[in-house]
Parts: sequence; C-alpha cells; structure tokens
Amino acid sequence: MSLELEPESGLLSGVRIVDATSVMAMPTAMYVLSDMGAQVIKVESHTRSRGGQGVYPDGEPGQEPWNRDGSFHQLHRGKFGITLDLKAEEAVELFKDLVRVSDVIAENNRPGVMDRLGLGYDTLRKIKPDLVYFSFSGFGQTGPWRNYQGIGRMFELTGGVSQFTGYPEDGPRRVGQAWFDPPNGWMAVFAILSALHHRNKTGEGQWVDYSMYQLAASTVGDGILDYLANERNGKLMGNSHPHFSPHGVFRCKGDDQWIAISVTDDAQWDSLCQAMGDPAWAKDDRYADVLSRSQHQESLNRHVGEWTKEYEHLELMSTLQGAGVPAGAVLNSKEVLTNDHIKARGLYENISYPAELGVGKRAHLGRPWKMSKTQSYIRRPAPSLGAHNDLILGDLLGVQPQQIDQLYELGAIGAHPVPIPQPVKRPSLDSDIETGVLVGHDSDYKKVLGLE
Amino acid sequence: MPEGPLSAFRIIDLSTGIAGPFCARLIADYGADVVKVEPPGVGDVSRGFGPFFSDTPDREKSLQFLYLNANKRGVTLDLECAAGRALFVEMVKSVDAVIESYPPGYLDSLGLGCTYLETHNPGLVMTSVTPFGQTGPYREFLGAPIVYEALGGVMYTSGAHDREPLGHGHPQSLYIGGITAAYATSAALYSRGMSGKGQQIDVSLMEVMAAHHVSPPNRYIYTGAIERRAPKKEAGSAKAGPHFQGVVPVKDGYVGATFQRGTQRPGNFAEYVNLLGHPELASLQESYPQQSSEFPKELDDALLSILKEWNKFDYFSHAASNSWVAAVVQTSEDLSRSPQLLERGFYSEIEHPVVGKLKMPGEIYKLPKSPYRLRLPAPLLGQHNREIFCEEMGVPQSDLVMLRRQGVI
Repeated sequence: MSLELEPESGLLSGVRIVDATSVMAMPTAMYVLSDMGAQVIKVESHTRSRGGQGVYPDGEPGQEPWNRDGSFHQLHRGKFGITLDLKAEEAVELFKDLVRVSDVIAENNRPGVMDRLGLGYDTLRKIKPDLVYFSFSGFGQTGPWRNYQGIGRMFELTGGVSQFTGYPEDGPRRVGQAWFDPPNGWMAVFAILSALHHRNKTGEGQWVDYSMYQLAASTVGDGILDYLANERNGKLMGNSHPHFSPHGVFRCKGDDQWIAISVTDDAQWDSLCQAMGDPAWAKDDRYADVLSRSQHQESLNRHVGEWTKEYEHLELMSTLQGAGVPAGAVLNSKEVLTNDHIKARGLYENISYPAELGVGKRAHLGRPWKMSKTQSYIRRPAPSLGAHNDLILGDLLGVQPQQIDQLYELGAIGAHPVPIPQPVKRPSLDSDIETGVLVGHDSDYKKVLGLE
Repeated sequence: MPEGPLSAFRIIDLSTGIAGPFCARLIADYGADVVKVEPPGVGDVSRGFGPFFSDTPDREKSLQFLYLNANKRGVTLDLECAAGRALFVEMVKSVDAVIESYPPGYLDSLGLGCTYLETHNPGLVMTSVTPFGQTGPYREFLGAPIVYEALGGVMYTSGAHDREPLGHGHPQSLYIGGITAAYATSAALYSRGMSGKGQQIDVSLMEVMAAHHVSPPNRYIYTGAIERRAPKKEAGSAKAGPHFQGVVPVKDGYVGATFQRGTQRPGNFAEYVNLLGHPELASLQESYPQQSSEFPKELDDALLSILKEWNKFDYFSHAASNSWVAAVVQTSEDLSRSPQLLERGFYSEIEHPVVGKLKMPGEIYKLPKSPYRLRLPAPLLGQHNREIFCEEMGVPQSDLVMLRRQGVI
C-alpha cells in the first residue's frame, strides 16, 4: 500500500472514515477527526456543487474556482478527496468497497436519501457488520419534524437560544455566523467517538442517529427547567446579565472599538472603581451592592461608558485585567488573527497548497485545546476535486488503472465538475467598504499574517 | 438494560460552573461513572446561582446545578488540607480521567498537578477547562462569557451596525466549551485504550470562541478584507440584505424566514409569496432589476406585512415541510412541549430527593445499542461520601465521622 495511506500518528491513528457529508457542521467534525489522526476520505460528486462562499485568493477565481475557495479549504483540510457520482451503479459499488475497508461512515443527507441510493444502514451493515454508521440531520431520523430542513444558523432560533439574545427593545437576533454548525460538528465528534468506544468494548457497530435540534436545546437546558419549575421563559438580555452589574459592552476610543466588562462580585467592583480612579459617582448607595447595581444598571453603564471611551480597547483590557476585573476587547477578524495570545497558543496553522493552484500558503483554524503527549495537527491541504481518485480507488481498493480510465469515461468519477460552474459572485471590496459591510481592507495582509 | 458506550470509564469531576460540569455530564450521560468532588460547605459555585426550583434559594435547588450535574454521584473533599488531598490522591488512583476548571497553577500549588497525579496513575487523562488555557500571555486573565465572545471575534460582526456589538444572552461559550472538552477527553481515552498513554488536555474558552468564528477570519486570510456588523442587518441576517432574511415578527412571536430552499438552492420571490398564500404579489418584483444586490424596501415591506398574518408554528411547519429553510423562535415553554423533542425522548423523568420529580432535558443523539440513560439526579452536597469513601475505597466508618468533624468532607 502507498505510504500516503499508512495510518498516521495521532489520537485516532488507524481509524478510517468515509465522509459523505457536506455544508458546515459535519465537515467541521470530519476535519477535527482528521487533525486527530483519523484517515478521512471525503466522497463528493463532481456533478454537484462543492458549496463554498467564493472566498478566492485576492478575490480571483482563477482557472479552477472550485479548487480555490478559501471557505472550502478551511472546512476540508486534512482529508483525502475522491469523486463518486452515486447516480451511477459503478460508483455505488465503489462506495460499498470503500465502506468494507473503513470503520465509520458519516452522512448528513435528509432522512431516507441514503436508503434510496442503496447505501442505507441495513445494506452497509451486511458488508461491514461492525460499521459505525453516523447519520446527522437537523431533527433526527424519527419524529414529526424529521423531514424538515435543518441548517446550523436556524437552530439559535428553534433551539431556544434566541429567546435570550438581542437588544431588549428590539427583538431576538442571531449572533455570529451559522452559530450551531461548529458546536454540532464538535458534538458529532463526541458521538462518533462514543460509538467507537462501544465497538472497542463489544465488537458491535451501530447506526447513530444525531439531531442538531437536540444539541441546540441542550445548551439551554437550565432555561427549560426554569419554565418547568417556575413557568418562566427567557427574555432578551442585550449584553447584560441576570445578576451581575456592570456587565456589558462599552465604547472605547477610536472608530468602532469596544470592550466587554463583566463584574461578578463586590471585590471586582471595588477593583473597577480603583481602576477608574475612585470617581465620586461610584460611591452612590445605588451602586453599593450586587443587587442594587443590578437594579440601577442603566445609569451605572452610562457612567462606566463615559470612562471607557477615553481609552484604547486593548490598553484598557490590560489595565482592567491587571486590576482583577474580567474584561475583553471586542476584536475584529484581523485583531483575532494577530492577537498575542492566539499567536502564542498557535490556534492557526499555516498550510501550503499545491503550486499549480496559485493559492500559496494560507492559515487554517486549528483546535481550541492542546494535549501534552499526542499532537494533533492539520495533515494536508483541502483536496482539489477528485485529487485522490487514483490513490484511493487504485491503491486502497485495488481498481486497475484501465478500469479507472473507464470510470472517468463513464462519468462515475471525475476530476472536473460537470457542468463547469460559474465562480461565486461577491460584491467588490470597494463596494463592500462603501456600504459598510467591511470596515477595511489590507493589501499587505499576507505580510501581516506571515504568509509570504 | 444496555450500558452506555463509556460505561468502562470512571471520572472525577472537580470542575465548577458550567463548562467543566457540562463536559462531565455529557460523558456521564453515555455511561461513565462520574463522581463530582465539591468543597465541603458551599459546593460547586453554580449551587448558589438562580433560578432556583420554586424560586426558593437553596443550594440543592439551583436549576443550573440540577441540570449540569445529573447522572453524577457526589462527594465533598477539602483539597486545602492534607487529609483531603491524601483521600483525593487515593480516588485518582482508580479513575480514568479528571476534569477540572481551577485557575492555572492552583492544583500545582496544592501538590495535585497533573505531573504528580500521573505518578500515582500513569494513564491518567486530565482535562483542564479554563478561560484562556494553561499557557500564553492571557493565562492569568479573568474570563466571562461576554469576554470570550468579544476576544474570539464573534461579537464584532454581531448586532446592529451602529450599536454596541452584541453577545448571547445565555452563556453559549461555556456550553460549547463543555462540548469541546468532552470530545477531547473522549478522544484521549480512546487513544489511551490503544497506546496506554494518558494526556493532559488544556482547553481554552477564549479559543473555543475563536475556533467557532470561521468565516470573517477566513476572508481576511484570503483577501485582507475585515468584516464589520453589516448595515441593514436589521433582523440578524449574516449578510446585508432584505429584512426578512433573519428573525422577523409574526402574529404571535418571531420566526426565522429565508429565501433558501434546501441547503444549496436559493428560492425566489415568486415561489415565496406563493408559499405564503399571496401569489398576486409575485408581479411586484417585476419592476425591479433581477440581479440587483439591493432588495427593494417595498418588497421587504410587503413580505413583512404578509408574514404578520401567520402564527409562528403555522409558518414554521408550512415553510419547513415545503423544503424552505425556516426556524421558529422557541421559548422555554415551547421547548418543554416540542412534539419533536417529546417524540425523540429528549426528556426523562427523575426523582430528586429534595425537589421531587424533575423532567430533565438530555438526550442529544441515539445510540441504539448503548443508549443515553438518565440514571441519577444531581447529587446532594456530599450525598455519596459514605458510599464512595467507605464502601468503595475502604475508609473505616469511624474515620468518616472524624473527617466530617474536621471539615475535610
């Protein structure tokens, strides 16, 4: 077998996963597993879009835009990639051959789709009895909502988080991008691992039925108990806290600079007062204890904001943290990427793409944890479409070269998308700056990030 | 009764608050024997946080504690005295993992750091869940959920363009930190089964939020563009665009409305007004250029006004069952009655010795051969001292009385 297919070192060395997933949450789970040393083989169809948001290097789609999209690279790094058009019988057979030599198959089609393709659990378990078959969906494989479309960014709402989130006078909002995609990916890693633990213990495989909705609801479990016990629903909190004050996001010096401050007890309040130079207003009885501060948070926040706006956000964070007050500057994406702590911890890893793509070296997100003995890391760049067809079909499954040629001719596999897609169109940087979508643009960003 | 997949593992949960305890509960839910170790007298800080059962403040009635610590047994132990530490080291000898959330260096200062514990248990997995991790310039900084969302970059692009950036009103970063710690711990235990090697795991909550923040940093890495809270982001949509692409008011609440069908295919205006029962509005769009990036306000207003005719669950089930991407802003009450959650077995009933019957949220995924099971309510403070110290570890009953008198347990 090719050296490239030997098990790699890592926590999950020797585990092989067939990745038939798409969009964001499951690709996230798959990249984490590959960082941990599992061999993840991404199966995609060259007859379907690869997704992606059109984040091309310097906005240039190039000759093969489908292989140059940064949003795809980030989510699919570390994986091997093959193409199988599962509408072709030959491709379905190859898929089964791949399952035969793998430990896990992960899919996130709508319930029923895999059965229709002839790749349901009952079929595949006959080929590989101890298979871990992982089905990921919005609402699960059963129940009245099972056929509803579920995507990550909708679960802040349906999962109950939005009842707490938003400016109080304004209405619920979503926060961040596609909030429940990464956490569901991470929980899917836990779920897949639990099935592997069971297999190690008993030798049995099983069909895991994962629901995004249930994970989202579990992050407000204490809120649900509050309703069950006290008939209380959540309310919009803005940046405030039910008990603590001052607790909020305050303006700093400079355009659109802010700091988050969370004072949770009297000692921290005293420290904050000291840092502010013990102003007379802070001695007011209304701010004397936790409860009273909470009842007068509007005037309190106004006073604190008058003080914070004289300082730079990072400088103020150092001052406050030095004084023992929990505080954090609101960082934009550039500030996160160049942050001292993020850099010292090595959250991002630089990965080089094949020269012919003209992508160069790019930084990809690592993991928010470290381990002392076994290293996890990004194993390889995201695969170009069909990049490992020869390696996986030939070296792993033993398909002869002339048969591979035939599969290309048949269209069961492919190295180019069919049809060739148009690049994703995005507004120009200038127009995004003009409309305020962007706060700015650095032409020297590669130098800033050390990617040259 | 089938056992959970993690039933071979024994875990000490030394953590407090939300992130560490949620991590330990996820592991307990799928079968591990998790023993919560709390300081005598006060216990886990979350015992002091409301809301409380029947709004009655009591350290056995904190709903947050009851939720996050179900399926665990509990002992008390004062790690600041020598007898407590000795007993703790005895406990560590027979466990697979310890989950803790003390400030970096604290356990070392007690002589209970990972390096020392490993000498008593060479394969130990020790998971530390802290605000900024064990290393790096911020390691001694103090954390809070809004601080993680701010420093992780999530907040800068959230909220209204001209207002203060907005974080979540419920500590999402801590729950997600718990999930992260749980999968890392499980992976280390899996690896240990193969290699025999333990691991010290260092989870940083700031980085959990930074790792959650995918798209804007990626755009900087590929183009140098820096995103801000989008203008016209009136309803929480990820991109500038029509108001209804986000959270919109309906007759009895809010829904998530989009123009999207399936995960890839965009829908269109005509299809959408047809879905909403107003096909006559389809012609409205004809007076506007098709490919305009600006969605005319008139169309927005028309959609917002016909959406007002709908009840939230009617809209949600109608749109979702017709393959539109849709959501409904559910309250805790809605979740407690959700037909989907009830049918899926998300809730289980359990009897708690102080508050009585509780309907407990829990199951996230189904493992038919080794399922989730709610076996235990959250422990009372020190509830299992006798069971664990005497019956399982062989501490004589008479010693237990003395340990209690000295405040060690």
